Amino acid sequence: MTAGSRLPWLVVPAALLLLAVYVWPTLGLFRTAFNEVGPTGAMIEAWSLKTTGEVLADSFTIELTLNSLWLSLSATLIALCMAYPVSLFLFRTQSRFRGLLAVIAIMPMLVSGVVRVFGWLAILGDRGLVNSLAQWLGLISTPMRLVFNWTGVTIGLAESIMPYMILALLAGFGRLDRTLEEAARSLGCTPLRTFLRVTLPLSLPALALAAGLGFVLSMSAYITPKLLGGGRVFVLATEIFEQATTNTNWPVAAVLAIYTLVLLLALLMFSNVAARRLQR
Amino acid sequence: MSYLELAGLQKRYRDSVAVDDVALSVEKGEAVALLGPSGCGKTTTLRMLAGLIDPDAGSIRLDGAEITRQPAHKRNMGYVFQSYALFPHLSVARNVGFGLEERRVPRPETARRVEEALGMVRLSGLEGRRPRELSGGQQQRVALARALVIRPSVLLLDESLSNLDAKLRDAMRHEIRDIQRSLGITTLFVTHDQVEALTMCDRIAVMKRGRIEQIGTPEDIYERPATRFVADFVGRANVLPAMRNGAGAISVWGVTLPATAPADGEVDVFVRPQRIRLAASGEPSGEGMVQLTGRVLRSVFVGDHVEVIVEGAGGQLSVEMQSGTKPPAAGTEVAVLWQAGDTLLFPREAT
Repeated sequence: MTAGSRLPWLVVPAALLLLAVYVWPTLGLFRTAFNEVGPTGAMIEAWSLKTTGEVLADSFTIELTLNSLWLSLSATLIALCMAYPVSLFLFRTQSRFRGLLAVIAIMPMLVSGVVRVFGWLAILGDRGLVNSLAQWLGLISTPMRLVFNWTGVTIGLAESIMPYMILALLAGFGRLDRTLEEAARSLGCTPLRTFLRVTLPLSLPALALAAGLGFVLSMSAYITPKLLGGGRVFVLATEIFEQATTNTNWPVAAVLAIYTLVLLLALLMFSNVAARRLQR
Repeated sequence: MSYLELAGLQKRYRDSVAVDDVALSVEKGEAVALLGPSGCGKTTTLRMLAGLIDPDAGSIRLDGAEITRQPAHKRNMGYVFQSYALFPHLSVARNVGFGLEERRVPRPETARRVEEALGMVRLSGLEGRRPRELSGGQQQRVALARALVIRPSVLLLDESLSNLDAKLRDAMRHEIRDIQRSLGITTLFVTHDQVEALTMCDRIAVMKRGRIEQIGTPEDIYERPATRFVADFVGRANVLPAMRNGAGAISVWGVTLPATAPADGEVDVFVRPQRIRLAASGEPSGEGMVQLTGRVLRSVFVGDHVEVIVEGAGGQLSVEMQSGTKPPAAGTEVAVLWQAGDTLLFPREAT
């Protein structure tokens, strides 16, 4: 038996699992999106685009979309600015602790999102670390509102996507080569000029890759906006959850879910094309 | 004072000394090779010259000015890396013009000098290509043009030919040597390839374990190696264990040599295979010749010469005969002859 004929069998378990827990429910999601909601709030089996039309025409959908995009954009940019230097360091360091440092950098991935949120509450809350310190130093008299608003959500989200972006950057740094930086130095570049003319241009594909990933993760994040938003932050993910559970309005939840999915696919394709363009 | 002066240069790493007390004077326009096996500190020396690593001790003076602590970007050294280190995101022309752009040379002059440099390395017409669209040899030329176009104080070449195939390497050797001579540019080559060092340079510094073993012209190094290591590393040599008799005379294979050992202790005799001649056994030896006798074990056709292995009383030695001459058949008794002056004596190394 050749390896070629054996391979398909090896993917059968995974394919079956995906079929059962992903493809089938997604089909169900699409089916639900065609249903209608009766005046009592009960779901009416149907094949219509009425719910879709209503959701897309709703100005709240636009607001949610803009909220989600803005939150994802700011969280991604903040995380990128933090992750890039860390990844550059990890990529280059000759230290024998490199493996350990990499593990530490991605450690937050190993902690539950809920636990991380409580960590941020302890740091950013009214009596948290930041406010206590600022008050003790006499910088402010009343605590700053750092949680249960957009600020808190953005900070928390940036932190939660950072490990993934560090991994994406490390994976994307293929063409980055210390010798190229040395060549630039020998040709008269100051360290800053070397960064601008060599390091940065050569990391653009990695940056595009990481930004795409961070953006998608931010768009679909639920726990952080929900818990750190304190009910004041509305994005697509929180709204889908509200509609599906609190309102039990499944058709609207389904339409919003598919809408988000399409949005993310479009963004992913865009970031892929951008990364490939930059790779040339 | 010479144009480029290295004195007491040292670089230590955690558990070893990479470069130890290296001193070297290079005249303006001179080409000097740093030759040695891998790990001998030659590349570390070159990188210290370029300012890519800081020495732990010692000084570097260029044209009378101390540059030991000067940052790399202020040194104006043209460095050609072993991997060429061309910028993959820039065209050939932008690669070559890179250093000129950093120096804020006006655009028209940059364009003119880039064109001139590409013409010098015979790459005109490839300005718009990306490095990965070029062959290894072409990339090498771009790297050379990029280093030359800034009119560097010193050109530094780090194993620059080692990634090329043999034929191209031969061609590039001559080409680089010609360019170096016509521009009169002071050059330091780092190489582990003795042919490269012998053919491309005015002088060679042979390095071993972070130290310079010998500095001299290619002829000096080859004909008059100062140490056993140099004799062994540069060119091929037969190493024959020598016996010492009571009077201090040296004998090999039972034949006393017209030479005296310089010091006490065991010594070995070094003879280059191409300096040895084979003759019919019993033929009288000439004046000033060393003559051993042995039996031909086998001969191997190598292309540009024939290698004959002769076995004698004290072991084997190898003789290089001109290609085209008919080597004696295996088993033939032969006389092995060389000029007494071609004998080199070195203390035996503890193994």
